[in-house]
Parts: sequence; structure tokens; C-alpha cells
Amino acid sequence: MTDGAAGGVAVARGRLAREGLTYALAIGLAALVSALFVVAMRGNVLLAFRTLLTSSLGSLGGIAQTLNKTSPLLLGSMAVMMGLRGGFFNIGVDGQIYLGAIAGTGTAFALAAWNLPGFVLAPLVLLAGFLGGALFGAIPGVLRARWSVNEIFITVMLNFVAFYLTDYLTTGPWNDPITGEAITVAIPAAANLPMLIPSAGAHAGILVAVAASAIVSLLLTRTVLGYEIRAVGDNPRAARIGGIGIARITLITLSLSGALAGLAGAIEVSGYHNRLVLGLTPGYGAMAILISVLGKKNPVGVAVASVLVAVLMVGSDSLQRSVGLPASAGFVFQAIVVLSVLLVDARSARRAG
Amino acid sequence: MNAPAPPKLEMRGMAKRFGETIALRGVAFAAARGEIHGLLGENGAGKTTLMNVLSGLYRADAGEIAIDGRPAAIREPEDALRHGIGMVHQHFELIHNFTALENVLLGREGSRWWLRVDRHRQDVEAVAGRFGLAVDLAAQVRGLAVGVQQKVEILKALYRGVDILILDEPTTMLTPQEVDALFATLRALADRGVTVIFITHKIREVLNNCDRITVMRAGKVVGRLDRAEATEARLVEMMVGQRIPGIGEADRGAAAAAEARPPVLEVRDLSVANDRGARVVRECSFTLHAGELVGMAGVAGNGQRELAEALVGLLPPAGGRIALAGRDVAQAPVRERVARGLVYIPEDRIEDGLLPGLSLAENLMLGLHPYAFNGRLAFDRAAARGLARQAIAEYGILARDEDVRAAHLSGGNIQKVLVARALALARLTRGAALLAMNPTRGLDVRATDFVRRRLLEFAQAGGGVLLLSEDLDELLQLCSRMLVIYRGAIVANLPRSAFDAYRIGALMAGTEGPAGAAPGPRAGAA
Repeated sequence: MTDGAAGGVAVARGRLAREGLTYALAIGLAALVSALFVVAMRGNVLLAFRTLLTSSLGSLGGIAQTLNKTSPLLLGSMAVMMGLRGGFFNIGVDGQIYLGAIAGTGTAFALAAWNLPGFVLAPLVLLAGFLGGALFGAIPGVLRARWSVNEIFITVMLNFVAFYLTDYLTTGPWNDPITGEAITVAIPAAANLPMLIPSAGAHAGILVAVAASAIVSLLLTRTVLGYEIRAVGDNPRAARIGGIGIARITLITLSLSGALAGLAGAIEVSGYHNRLVLGLTPGYGAMAILISVLGKKNPVGVAVASVLVAVLMVGSDSLQRSVGLPASAGFVFQAIVVLSVLLVDARSARRAG
Repeated sequence: MNAPAPPKLEMRGMAKRFGETIALRGVAFAAARGEIHGLLGENGAGKTTLMNVLSGLYRADAGEIAIDGRPAAIREPEDALRHGIGMVHQHFELIHNFTALENVLLGREGSRWWLRVDRHRQDVEAVAGRFGLAVDLAAQVRGLAVGVQQKVEILKALYRGVDILILDEPTTMLTPQEVDALFATLRALADRGVTVIFITHKIREVLNNCDRITVMRAGKVVGRLDRAEATEARLVEMMVGQRIPGIGEADRGAAAAAEARPPVLEVRDLSVANDRGARVVRECSFTLHAGELVGMAGVAGNGQRELAEALVGLLPPAGGRIALAGRDVAQAPVRERVARGLVYIPEDRIEDGLLPGLSLAENLMLGLHPYAFNGRLAFDRAAARGLARQAIAEYGILARDEDVRAAHLSGGNIQKVLVARALALARLTRGAALLAMNPTRGLDVRATDFVRRRLLEFAQAGGGVLLLSEDLDELLQLCSRMLVIYRGAIVANLPRSAFDAYRIGALMAGTEGPAGAAPGPRAGAA
């Protein structure tokens, strides 16, 4: 270790190798602990793992389901990541998803009489979702920028606001009385997203999600605005001395974060449910936080982690049928993966430091 | 007794490494009884590490220590104390709520259960009397001047029977008067047989006060000289490993006499309250002209930081005007002040200057980014990298490349980044007012010289520099005019012809009233 100066590239390569090793170890550990869990539940370990993978990736239908799940997870995680890069904790992804869904549904209803073609109406629905989420993100943004109110509390509380607003709309004015459930009548067919794999039911939302994620990635790394967001997230004091308006960046970052989640909500409406549904998000917000931790606030890492969690979500549904594990086993697996990554990561970080 | 007596202290083959950093590479050191021994070197040369080993704070990886010719095993500070070795650190270890006497006795109360401070008063007074240390033992440390606190620390060591006294950079926080008093004290100790080891990077202090000098560089001893052999030029060359010409009158050149030129920064009756509402800057007025380097001297904590933050736009002023290029910007945001030509080198280079998680190139763009890309939305990474490569070459920034994370840079290199950034920004905005706060603190000789020359160049090129520094020597050397700040008020405005270290020291300490103005802070401001 005395050959100090020569080691620059070697250090970088070493870090990449260590990162890879970290994840390999973590996945191995997670598999082991999950196996023990399956055994404890008196299930067949190999059958469980095979079911998990074949049901989510082994058939066209499975892949379609996985893709459909990936869209909201990816957008939600990008929303959380966007906030974290600017130094903000957006715990309100669920609420923003609902608000995006409400805005999208409302737009579809409002424009129903115009009989717009699909290639006009569907994008308008998505745009409405985007703006609805942005508006909902702007609330904590303004409060934080203007009065230094902690965005964590506001976003958490707004989740309740959005949930009960959805509850009201799905059971009240927009309710579909025939079903007797908390769902609205269907939006016009022209408002629906086109299908990506029509036979299997995969909608085009994943394309929107991937495109939005790519734009976020470019925004953060290739624009002056993204640079200012990262600077504020890294050291707000230095950023302020550098002439960056903290209030402006706070408002923009939290609004964009909310907008990404709102887009996810609109996609769920126009791509999957074709109407507003209470329970539209089964806790995507919390999973998005886990995913952005797993993905280390890096767009590529977040994308990979989103797919991984989608696989677990889809696969765990079938575990119930084939292995007799409860459906919530999927959540246990997710938790095990996250804990394993955090554990292995902390260990290797300590050894390196 | 024909054989020469063994030295009081001898260290041989001392080695110490911290992880991959080698702090000491086989160092030999010796000091005689009753001498003041200067241990000279740049930051990071290993001086403090060597003395921390001697005083038992660090354990050496290898090496032997002998006291009076007998080997001494020093593993803990208690071992060192048993051998009569004590150290006064740069930051004092005094309890502010205790009296001087209680601090001296701390850990030596002499009884397990009962605290009988007064029983030991006479012992302490005897020690103080023997070494000529006049200290008011009943006074609370909180209320004592820094120089007196230092005396308490020295007394604490002597009371523990120390006869090898190590002082780590003891003059950094002192006014010139206090420095003189310190050396008088140290000389008195040496005359009474105490070996004084004096760690410093200030060559003049060594030349004026030490009997013998050991110079360290990069973890090695590069020379040991008697006072008679030492000259300033020789010591600099030994410390740095190369010749650095001093900054003389010629370098300051046109920086003097600029009153006739247009003002770049005008401050009128500026008052600033800190975050607890206390008024810490009181109706300050001064003008900075193009082409001059104005210093602001003051003991740390007299409102300099708040003044700088108000000028830059981080703290809203409680009253007054700040005019940049003729326009009042007292309520304007940071960016507008930058646009009007103000650039800033902050004091706390990590907290206020660095984006640790971003790359070197991205750090160099901070503040420049609204200007460098011609207003385009895209962050031109190629342009940023190019600018970074240019700065790395021009400023001698030691970094693997421009993509390295800023957190991996050393303090000196971080400072170079901040200086490079400020000067590049001034170039882009045609900025004419440079505000720098303690820009050379903690830097080695070369980096210090580098930063100082850049400040002078900026003034010579027609800019105005306001240099807030706690290093009076630096101000005396560089400035064409000097302001003195005491308790938030400007108490003097002196032309270079009136520079007198002792008078400025007295003004800094508040023992001499401001010339011409009413003494003390003005009352009645709402």
C-alpha cells in the first residue's frame, strides 16, 4: 500500500468490485434467510424459489404483471430519490400517487364529452396526473421554503388527506353504484393507455416510467438545475454562498418529486384499473423509500431494485397458491433483502474505512 | 565527571503511521536541560505527532525515549507525567466555570473524598512564585484573557512537577503583547532548569526566542541548529525544501495609496445581530477602493464572521448600507451581490465552501454556474472539466483527476479550490471586490505564500481586497490599510505608515481606545 500515487484507477476499480461483491453477498444472505423462513413455515424451499421466479418472469403473463408493477415502483422510487438528492425526505409518495390518480381521472371525466382521440386524451390524463402530483408536492415545498416546516411531517399528513379525498370521490360523487365498492365508473376508453403486450395485459405505462426516469437522470446530471439540486442536497450552506436560491430549489425539487409520483398514479388509472380505485397504491410509497435506499440514490440502481421488488411482489401472490405460504410472505422477503443489503453494506463500509 | 552529561531528553528512531499515512519516519530528537528548543515545520511535518508520542497521547510504532540518559517507557499520559513531561495543547483544556486554582488542582486534589482546595493554595502559589507566573488564582477562567489562560495551563503543568514543557503552537491566539509576555515567562522557566519545547511554524518566533532549533519536514528531521547558525532564509529552505522568496514591498507595488480610485465596496453604519438577537456588529463604516488590500484585524469572535456574512448576504443586517459599485445591496440576495462583483473566500472551507459528495470539477463550478454556460440550461460537463483541469494546473491542486470526489481532498487543496473558484468567478463577473476570511489558516508555507500572492495580484489588477484575518503578521505584511475591529465596532483605520504591531495589538485587545472616536461600543441603537 506504499505505492500511493499509482493507485487511482485501481482504487476506483476496487470500489466497483467491492460494490458488486456487496450485492452478491447480500442476495446470498437474503436467499439463505428467506429459505430458513420458508422451512419454518413448513414449505418446500426449492419449490418456493422456483415459483417466485417462474410466476413473475417465466411466462408472458408473468412478465406483463411484473412490468405493470414496475411502473409505479420505478416512478415512486424516482420521486423519493429526487427528493433525497436535494436533501429532502418525501414520505408522501402514496398521497401524491392518489392525487395524480384523482387529477387524471377527473380530467378523463371532464373531457369525456369532447370525444378526443386516444393519442390526445391519454397523454392529457398523464399530464394531469403529473401536475396533480406536482401541486401536492408543492405544498410541503412552499411550507419548507417559506417557513422551514419539516417536509417529513407535511408529506406524511398529506397522505391521509389524499387517501380520504379518494375515499370520498370513489364512494361519493364518482362512485360506480353497480359494484358496491369504493371505485368510480370507468374512464372513457380513449383515456386508457395503449397495450404493450395486448395478449398478456402489459400496458405502455412502463415505457412512460422508463422515459421519465431517464429524463430525471439527465436532469440531475446534465442540467444546471440538476446541479443546483445536488449542490443543495450535498451542502446547503455552501450552495447558498454559491448564490443558489435555496427556497427556489426546495420548491422545484419537492414539486418535481411529487409530479413523478402523480404520474405513477395517472398511469395506474389509465393503464391498469381504468378508473379511480381506493387502494390504488398498496403502499408503493414505503416500498419506494426502500428501493431508493437499495439503489443508493442512483437512477440505474433504483431501476434494478424496482424490478427486483416487482418480481417479489408478483411472485409472492403465487406462493400462496403453490407453496401455501401466506401472500404477505412477499413482504417478508422484501424486508429480508433490504436488511441484508444494509447489513452487508455497513460491514464492508466499516472494513474499508 | 569527564564524560558529557546525557541530554535531558533524547528520542531515537521514532516511527509512527496512521493507516496509509506515515507521520514519523525514524525521527531523532534531543533537548538539553534549561533550553528553549524550537520544533519548526510546516503543517503535517510531524511535529505535533512527535510530541504527542513523547507526552503519551500516541504510542510510537518504533523508537526509544531516554530521559536523563535512562530509557523511559511512555505508553500513557501518566507515564509521561511521571517522567516530568507535560504538554500545553493548542486548544486549552481548562474548565471555564472553575477558578484558576481549581483548574490547576484538577486531578491533583490530594484527597479521595473531600475537596480542600484552599489547603493546596499555598503549594500552588509557591510554584507560581518560583517561576514568576503571576496569576490571579481566585479568578474564574471564563473571564481571563487568552494569554492568562495559557499561563494557567503552564502553571498546571509545573504544579505536576513537569520539567520538560511542550507547547503546541502557543502564539496563534495571542496579541503581540501577550506573545512577548509568553516568551518572558518561558525564558524564566528555562533559566530555572525547565526544558521548553516550542512547536511552531513561525520562523520569526523561533529566531527571536529559541536557543536551539530542530526542523522537520515530511515526517523526518531535516536539521538541528544552534540559534547562531540559523537565518530566516535557511530555515525556510529547510522547512519547505526549496527557496521561497519573501513577499516584500515590491510585491505590494501599486497596492498602496489608492484612496483616489473609485470605491468598490462602501459600508455605512452596518449593524448585524447574531441568531440569538445580540448585536455583534455595531455601526461599522468603511470603504474599500479599487486597487487596495485592506486588512481587518481583531481577536477571533469580535464580530468578524457576522460582518463577513452580512456583506455576502447570509445574515440580514439590522441596519445600515452595503454599496457595491454604487448600488445598495444590503437587502439583496447572494446572487445579486455576486452579479454586482462581490466574491467571497469563506472562513470555514469545509462547512461553507465544499460540496463533499460532488466532484472536484463540480465544486469548482459552484457560483460560476450561472455565468459559465452562457445562461444555457444544460450543465456542460466538458466545459466544467476543462475549467477544472485548468485550475488543477494553474493552482497546483493535488488530485487524481477532476472527477475525484471533493471529500477526498486535503485542507490545503480545498483552500486552493476555493481561491481558484473565487478568482474565476471574479473574472466572469468582472467582480472587483474580494472578501477573504482567514484564507491561509492551517495552510503550509507554500500554499500560504500562494494564496497571499493571489490576493496581492487581485489588488494590483485593480480589484479591492478586504482581508479579515486573525494572523496579525499576515495583515502587517500584505495590507495597504488596516481596520481594527473590537466588540463589533471598527476602532481604528490605519494607513500603512502607521502600522505598529503593538499599537494594533492594544486596539485588538481593547486596552487602547479608538483614535478620534468615542471609546467603547455606542449605546442607544434600537
